[in-house]
Amino acid sequence: MARVYNWQLGREMSYWYPESRPQRQFAAVFDTNKCIACQTCTLACKTTWTSGRGQEYMLWNNVESKPYGFYPLAWDLKLLDMLDGGKWNGSRYEGQTVFESAPAGERVLGWRPESEDYAYPNCGEDDCAGQVDGGASMAMPHMNWFYYLARICNHCSYPACLASCPRGSIYKRPEDGIVLVDQGRCRGYQECVKGCPYKKVFFNPMTGTSEKCIACFPKIEQGIQPQCFVNCIGKIRMAGWISKPQDARPENPIDYLVHIKKVALPLFPQFGLEPNVYYIPPVHVPTAFTRQMFGPGVDDAIKTYRNAKNDPDLAGLLCLFGSSEMVMPRWRRQGDTVTGLDEKGNALVRVPMNEPVHVRPAYDKLYQIARTNCP
Amino acid sequence: MTMKRKLALAGALMATVACQTKAPVANEVVAMPVAKLPAAPQDSGWSAASEHTAKLLPQDLVDPRLMKASTAEVRVRAVASGSEIAFRLEWTDPVVNDLPGPGRFLDGCAIQIPRVREANPPDPQMGQAAKPVDIAFWRADWQASVNGREDSIRALYPNAAVDHYPFEAKSIEPGSAVAKEMAARYAPAQAVGNRRVGPRVSPVEDMVAEGPGTLSPGPGGSRGKGERTDGGWSVMIVRKMPEGLAPRQRTQIAFAVWEGSKEETGARKMRTGWIPLSVKESK
Repeated sequence: MARVYNWQLGREMSYWYPESRPQRQFAAVFDTNKCIACQTCTLACKTTWTSGRGQEYMLWNNVESKPYGFYPLAWDLKLLDMLDGGKWNGSRYEGQTVFESAPAGERVLGWRPESEDYAYPNCGEDDCAGQVDGGASMAMPHMNWFYYLARICNHCSYPACLASCPRGSIYKRPEDGIVLVDQGRCRGYQECVKGCPYKKVFFNPMTGTSEKCIACFPKIEQGIQPQCFVNCIGKIRMAGWISKPQDARPENPIDYLVHIKKVALPLFPQFGLEPNVYYIPPVHVPTAFTRQMFGPGVDDAIKTYRNAKNDPDLAGLLCLFGSSEMVMPRWRRQGDTVTGLDEKGNALVRVPMNEPVHVRPAYDKLYQIARTNCP
Repeated sequence: MTMKRKLALAGALMATVACQTKAPVANEVVAMPVAKLPAAPQDSGWSAASEHTAKLLPQDLVDPRLMKASTAEVRVRAVASGSEIAFRLEWTDPVVNDLPGPGRFLDGCAIQIPRVREANPPDPQMGQAAKPVDIAFWRADWQASVNGREDSIRALYPNAAVDHYPFEAKSIEPGSAVAKEMAARYAPAQAVGNRRVGPRVSPVEDMVAEGPGTLSPGPGGSRGKGERTDGGWSVMIVRKMPEGLAPRQRTQIAFAVWEGSKEETGARKMRTGWIPLSVKESK
């Protein structure tokens, strides 16, 4: 094993291969507070990529309710149990990663879901964390909670699927860091399925190979955001490129949210993969839960997010989510207008931070008729 | 008694024991020449060959390893005819594993022979750089496919409900070029010609390797057939005669067995080291 630096853990760790970062890294920010679990993203992906034989059960993109939703069943709980929860000391992770805790004979600590584990993708949907007694729904704030977690492949900097494959059939593209399974080389051993802690590699029994989210790379190559991003009606997602922390640029939207404002956090950083989908944590969930899921930055991230109304740059950037199908590698705010820019600084989209308000009188004098509130 | 005499006595004793054994166990795999190769694993033609029982070891040299031994041994017979040589591998396996799927693994076996016959053979663990090994690999799911199992998800999951495949839309003629092209879009492994994709026309696949992790499609021509026996598998694999192998010549052979119910796949297997392989002279 090589020694590599994982900035999400604040330390070096062991990995199967030496550190080799791509020229640029595909990354995304999901705002969990805006997700309504409509599953439009899920279907956008499903109809685009996984409508074939052997792909019936596959959801490269899924949205699960937390705390009781899982796809596959208990994917996160099983590994957390195997890792004994993990232990942080401030922003430094002092527990073991899936690489460091790999048992003898294994490259990665993992487990294999069985067919039945994929059979209940809506398990736990909209289930609250606790009992809602009579009248509780009228009390504010609500005493119980759940939230929606949209998930795709994290296109990790240190992918466990890639490390697990004894044939080198999985590779990370040097040009964009997207992790792919070579469909010509894969022999379907399912080591990657076992190794990926997020369970985002799927075995196709009809082709005999494993398949996974490809970050819609044919679209990314054209500068367009993936299907699950552009079809998101809640506008919770933004795709882009992330720099290493020391190279963070404020004009890069992903860098700004992850490195500068630290409002978007990785999913289960303690696994050690340096995942590249970042989540703005739900503001209404007990942080004992979200700290385990998103790491020790949760409290500060929620504080920053709640303060967005006093932070025009942060609020402005959040307005850019879902505003264009194009990837916006740069952005700027001028007054009340936020602009998404391409690499050369050309405007891709302009968004007002505050929509103009029009008040229509209840009675239309011109037509001499009362208006209703229906749109 | 001198040492020389002691050795002579010991040799005589061993010869006596050997004579008393009904079916002597060869310390090498000897292929018996036959006029015609058997057509199936249970044909009587296999009785012409002596049986070699090869002890199996867990593959515990490279990760991912098999940490717990499973199948103990494989019983091998070999016959040769003209330019072909056939092997019959039999082993105990009470559970049939021939359904692929997530978390499901398949029963299988393989034979491995060095591409070049030489005094210093390649590493028995999948060969080594510039010293390739030829592998013929049989798998139970491919056999089921050849035996007529439908190539559909319902054959693997009888209760599967499929709403719709785009390439089976009413507007598309079934089996047409348009339907096939659209189906291939959703089967990338098929689109790039990966031989994993069903349906199978042979239960045996030819591979070549030059070390662990280098397995790739090899020159074709091998064939075979596997059948269930009482509590195990009986599999015959026919391949071309190894280059330069003739009576009074030797090469090497290695065997591997995968037990699907033990999640054995790829490098997680029971295997042998090299075992001498020869062809008996015709009488």
